[in-house]
Amino acid sequence: MPIDTTDIERLAQILERSGVASIEIEENGQSLKLVMETEGPTVPSPALAALTGRSDGVANVAKADVAGIFVAAHPSRTKPFVEPGQAIEAGAIVGLVKIGRLYVPVLSPAAGIVDSIVAEAGATVGYGTPIVSVRSAA
Amino acid sequence: MIEILSVLGPASVQDLGRFDQYRFGVGTSGAMDDIALRAGNILLANDENAAGIEIPMTPFKLRFGRDTAFALTGADAGADLGGRAIPPWWRSQARAGDVLSLKAMTRGARSYLTVGGGIDVPVVLGSRSTQLRGQLGGLHGRSLQPGDVLPCTAPDSSACIGELGTEPADIALARPNAPAGVTVVRVVIAGEYDMYDGVAQDLFWRSDWKVTPQSNRYGYRLQGPAVMPISPVEKRSHGIVPGVVQIPPNGQPIIQMRDAQTSGGYPKIATVIEADLWRIGQAGLGGKLRFEQTLYPDALAAQDEVSAYLDKLRVNVRRLEELRRCR
Repeated sequence: MPIDTTDIERLAQILERSGVASIEIEENGQSLKLVMETEGPTVPSPALAALTGRSDGVANVAKADVAGIFVAAHPSRTKPFVEPGQAIEAGAIVGLVKIGRLYVPVLSPAAGIVDSIVAEAGATVGYGTPIVSVRSAA
Repeated sequence: MIEILSVLGPASVQDLGRFDQYRFGVGTSGAMDDIALRAGNILLANDENAAGIEIPMTPFKLRFGRDTAFALTGADAGADLGGRAIPPWWRSQARAGDVLSLKAMTRGARSYLTVGGGIDVPVVLGSRSTQLRGQLGGLHGRSLQPGDVLPCTAPDSSACIGELGTEPADIALARPNAPAGVTVVRVVIAGEYDMYDGVAQDLFWRSDWKVTPQSNRYGYRLQGPAVMPISPVEKRSHGIVPGVVQIPPNGQPIIQMRDAQTSGGYPKIATVIEADLWRIGQAGLGGKLRFEQTLYPDALAAQDEVSAYLDKLRVNVRRLEELRRCR
């Protein structure tokens, strides 16, 4: 059976819990290497990097908590869940992670104004991948 | 428990239907979109036949009496829970006192609310479905009214109740090359098909049929060019089932739906296949329907496709649940 995203997710959790930094497995000609980030998530986007220098609020980042494909709008709708400049409450759905035919929400950790959609729609994301940055009053 | 705060139109409690009483003239009732009801129940790890609320019109508002896991499937009704937007085809968790509001249907014609454990109205003749004609089942055999209180079965407390959505059935089961704005349903030809000549048959297949306001859980009355038989057909009443397409003397088709009578006398030109009945349930008033001829083996294959979608959903929900439980 091929390795799928659920297996990878499960392995990542085992690594995290056991404090192991990396693992490599090979199966039926497939190989997989998982390396845990020990310093917290990297900052891949210039938009997010720019945020850290701002003084007009606290930057919060809504992150994916499961591996899959980032989806900015519900499949029945064309309008994305959030757009830059929009005011949102803590716990609001800011996007979805698609796993097969299921969708897991990405939730805003705080109330504030949506600063930017950091992840690209259609991109493969994993546990901890930054999805949306939200600026809250300091 | 759930308290209905406001309701427009005939919202009712429905499970998958009442299937053992047909020989006594008791129709099936049951959800007009059985796939949406099943998907909601799968998201909640319920029995797929657990009763939910079928909501055909908005605005609709209810209050949860205790912490309750719920799912909304079927039509996109612009829902929110205490002001927080709830996407379509979605499972979420309400706290005691939370108000769920369905503001406006933008896609589809019926929304389904399912709750962890199911709506616990009495089982009548083997089903919890409301039968409006016979005034039995559901809540006192009638549609819901403001102030009604619906008991819910206590759910399995070990069930995982994080938020989760699923691909809507109209996307997962989309027909290839379906024209925009027209619901195409597959039918097999029925007993009296040969009583119509080629011209009349052609009209039946090629027309876009308009769903008239005289369309509901009993049946859909369609409007289009008159489909007339070669000579007037007179038949005694005989057994019919949901999906049967009759042509009354005015030549305007009627599709029998879940609350249909068990017998009728109009000639039958075709029967909508089981796998596509839900598509009609989601076709709103003023919408357009088209009939596509199919053969019995293809009707069975279409049913297999529906089953595969639901099976995959069930397996994936279970796998993801296992994954998230270990956090």
